Amino acid sequence: MICPNCGSNMSDKRKRCERCSTDITIYKKVLRTSNLYYNNALTKAKVRDLSGAIVALQKSLDLNKLNTSSRNLLGLIYYELGETVAALSEWVISKHFQPVNNDADEYISKVQSNLTKLDSLNQAIKKYNLALGLAKQGSDDLAIIHLKKVVTLNVNFIRAYQLLSLLLIKTGDAARAKKYLQKVIKIDVSNTTTLRYLKELEIASTTKDLDGNPEAEPIGGISNTIVPISSYREDKPNVMAFVSLVIGIVIGLAFMAFLIIPTIKNNSSNSNDSSDYTDSGYSLAQIQEMNNTNTALQKDKTDLEKQLSDLQKQIDTAPAPEDNSQIYDSLINATELYFVEKDKAASEQDFMPIADLLSGVDDTKLKLDSAVTLLNQLREATYPSVASLHYDNGHDLYGSGKYDEALVELMKAATLDPTNVDALYFTARAYHKLGDNENAVKYYNMVITDFPDSSRVHDSKDYLKQVQK
Amino acid sequence: MINFDEELEKFQPSLEVEQAEDVINNNDLTDVTDILKEFLKGNKDNN
Repeated sequence: MICPNCGSNMSDKRKRCERCSTDITIYKKVLRTSNLYYNNALTKAKVRDLSGAIVALQKSLDLNKLNTSSRNLLGLIYYELGETVAALSEWVISKHFQPVNNDADEYISKVQSNLTKLDSLNQAIKKYNLALGLAKQGSDDLAIIHLKKVVTLNVNFIRAYQLLSLLLIKTGDAARAKKYLQKVIKIDVSNTTTLRYLKELEIASTTKDLDGNPEAEPIGGISNTIVPISSYREDKPNVMAFVSLVIGIVIGLAFMAFLIIPTIKNNSSNSNDSSDYTDSGYSLAQIQEMNNTNTALQKDKTDLEKQLSDLQKQIDTAPAPEDNSQIYDSLINATELYFVEKDKAASEQDFMPIADLLSGVDDTKLKLDSAVTLLNQLREATYPSVASLHYDNGHDLYGSGKYDEALVELMKAATLDPTNVDALYFTARAYHKLGDNENAVKYYNMVITDFPDSSRVHDSKDYLKQVQK
Repeated sequence: MINFDEELEKFQPSLEVEQAEDVINNNDLTDVTDILKEFLKGNKDNN
């Protein structure tokens, strides 16, 4: 024991301090009383008289603030009642007075280790404060909603239960208020507020009952447990059961007559008539074989369809055969015309349409040698005179300055008679006059190269120089 | 009968975790032993 006056250690049995001679009888009595209150509080806490325990512990601490056991127990009780902050405060103060060998360490660390739980408890407190504000403003419904959430977040929050019950009583929901108050009673059996509300509810219930309200039920629901006993009556034979049985039998017989028996008969006749009866194993083998055949046929069909498709594509993409009859028609027509013109006088002969027809015939597409021979003969007979006519026309047009028209005629002349160097020369000249130097050079060169002995070569070379300057 | 307004006034806001420090600092921890010590000290001074 420590002397309150000088702070020196002293024996518990002594009444005076050996060092400062201070009488510590009262001091020792105060400490004993504080411990007495602690013991009293512990007893109450063990039977869940938490409100009573709080009062005793507060007295104990008023006497001796250094009573660590009292303070720690007070913190535990606060925590049990949902007063988290009050609990933490007590444990922190306890640790302040007794830094070592203190159970408060364990309590604080347990609370702080589960941050989720701590956050949930703090949320419950905030919502409770919000609900209290709403209730004071008259928004009972909103407050009730918030408080219901609070009691789910912190199931031991006594004050929240009490406020919720009060608001429920106010709104007329006595049953739920009672339910919540009974939860509170399980946590703290002697909470005066809870007991007062419960008593009010009981009084209200009794008053209703006395007023003759048939819906009012006495506390405990005794009416539900009492069942009136009916008088004894002997069971009469149940006629309806017998009738139902007869109807069931009739329906069953009808079902057999119309559905089952015809089916059996049909199966029987089928089995008698079937001469090619085979066992199920054989039938399965046959089915399997047929399936295989079917698969093979399907495959063949697919292949054939593919072949058909390919052939159709080949037909579609193949070049269409030339219409030989048209080629030979042109040749025949040209021949007929030639004979017509040949019978005419030389001055009246016009081989130009014949040359036009022949120029449209493609030598390479003629299959018959005789046709090719005929074509060549006709060309030899007609082309030089027609070429000469075209040249004359072209030369006249060139002379009159119609170079475009002259070119057409001169080109025809050169095509029909490739030996006509004049036609080539004037073609080059016409291009030269038209300013088409590229073609002019081409035709001048043809004159110079293909007909080196021609009289047109000298002029062609001169003009070629002019063009190439 | 319960007077709801009176009952409602009895309910006080609960302390939030953020307020714990203030509560601890402002707690009046004077007890009987403190008074006794003061008393004993006064007696000694008088003697």
